[in-house]
Amino acid sequence: MTVETTGDAANDAGIQLPDTLLAAAEALLNRLLALDPEGAARLSAIQGRVLRIELTGFGTRLHVIPTGDGLMLHGSYDAEPDCIVHGTPAALLRMAVSEHREDEVFAGAIRIDGDNGVAQTLGDVLKGLDIDWEEQVSRLTGDALAHRLGVQTGAAGRWARRSGDVLTRDLREYLIEEGRLLPGDDDMRAFLDGVDGLRDDVERLDAKVARLAQRLGAAGPR
Amino acid sequence: MSDDKTTHFGYQEVPVAEKQQRVRAVFDSVATRYDLMTDLMSMGVHRLWKRRTVELAGVRRGQRVLDLAAGTGDLAEKFARIVGPDGEVVMTDINEAMLNEGRARLVNAGVVGNMDYALANAEKLPFDDNSFDCVTIGFGLRNVTHKQFALNEMYRVLRPGGRALVLEFSHPVSQPLSRAYDLYSFTMLPIMGRFVAGDADSYRYLAESIRMHPDQETLLSMMEQAGFERASYVNLTGGIVAIHRGYKL
Repeated sequence: MTVETTGDAANDAGIQLPDTLLAAAEALLNRLLALDPEGAARLSAIQGRVLRIELTGFGTRLHVIPTGDGLMLHGSYDAEPDCIVHGTPAALLRMAVSEHREDEVFAGAIRIDGDNGVAQTLGDVLKGLDIDWEEQVSRLTGDALAHRLGVQTGAAGRWARRSGDVLTRDLREYLIEEGRLLPGDDDMRAFLDGVDGLRDDVERLDAKVARLAQRLGAAGPR
Repeated sequence: MSDDKTTHFGYQEVPVAEKQQRVRAVFDSVATRYDLMTDLMSMGVHRLWKRRTVELAGVRRGQRVLDLAAGTGDLAEKFARIVGPDGEVVMTDINEAMLNEGRARLVNAGVVGNMDYALANAEKLPFDDNSFDCVTIGFGLRNVTHKQFALNEMYRVLRPGGRALVLEFSHPVSQPLSRAYDLYSFTMLPIMGRFVAGDADSYRYLAESIRMHPDQETLLSMMEQAGFERASYVNLTGGIVAIHRGYKL
């Protein structure tokens, strides 16, 4: 299944990611996938299908083409995508880390055109990667040290997550409540409702002007 | 353009019958060190040129791709990983040493099952009309004796709707870049060739053959002459390399 796409010129519009960065990210991603060959092999179901990710607001495009056991990343790819995922970077990030990915789609923050199965499979494979970090480290350091490192890293990870959560909460509170640098949830909601209301009013006014102009035209010049 | 009896071999004029043998000798000499030298010569940028070629080829699952003058098979490998088990990639080269080198590399990399190899002259392809979705030739066309014949053959074996891509050294579009590039290719390249591959002459030939290759516009008109439609090209790295693309509609 393919979806409509625009020509070459549109591919270069917006902020595009540098090719060197994509090549580096591709190499890194494939190295990670190689650590769980069984998981990565599930990509063969969508091998050679073209998934396009469009970052709303930036015009940035990323094409992901699964190979048998890895991924290719390209800024442009001159084939009609099987699936296009549109979303803001924040919404895509939320979807990537969320337990219930469909929430973002239902909330309207993410739009998927074409064969949803491609995006779904890719997400499942990346999420389901089972990488034994301890095993990877033990190749360099030996089992005993790797195990101790694993335990320490686990504890450090939990601490970092906890501290990170606290820090994020504190920072958010400071920026909104203390510094008044960012709007709070209620302010933001009121502002967005106001924008929506204004947009509706303008549309109504526009329609009214059009109707009056039409009536004036029908009456003819006097 | 040279007449019927002689043709270019770098800056030398040689009999047509001799060019193929001399090009073969060059690649026999460099085959085993080819990848290392390519990396050194282009300072690794050839990987980005090949990535761009893959992007413009837009190959997808199940397609049949022909990669001519495939060398050690960089492009063919990428295509094989995309087309998957339902598709097929045929990798050809006129030079047996290069083709063997490429096959050994790809088998080691686990690229098997959908990859075929053929020792073939790009001027006379042993394939049916209308049999490929995409035909590519990466850094090979300038070594072909009759380039127009090769382009005609690429057009013949393409299916309607298919596309052909020529990735090749071309002519820098700005004067300062052109001068720096000349200095690099005629002094640095043969020196690197001598130290890394033990063969300065072959690399001097590579530099000369690049200068004798048709420029962007000439190659574009040759593609149109072969029958390609919507033919166009993109310059990479200031025109040091160009990718020409044309469709059979």
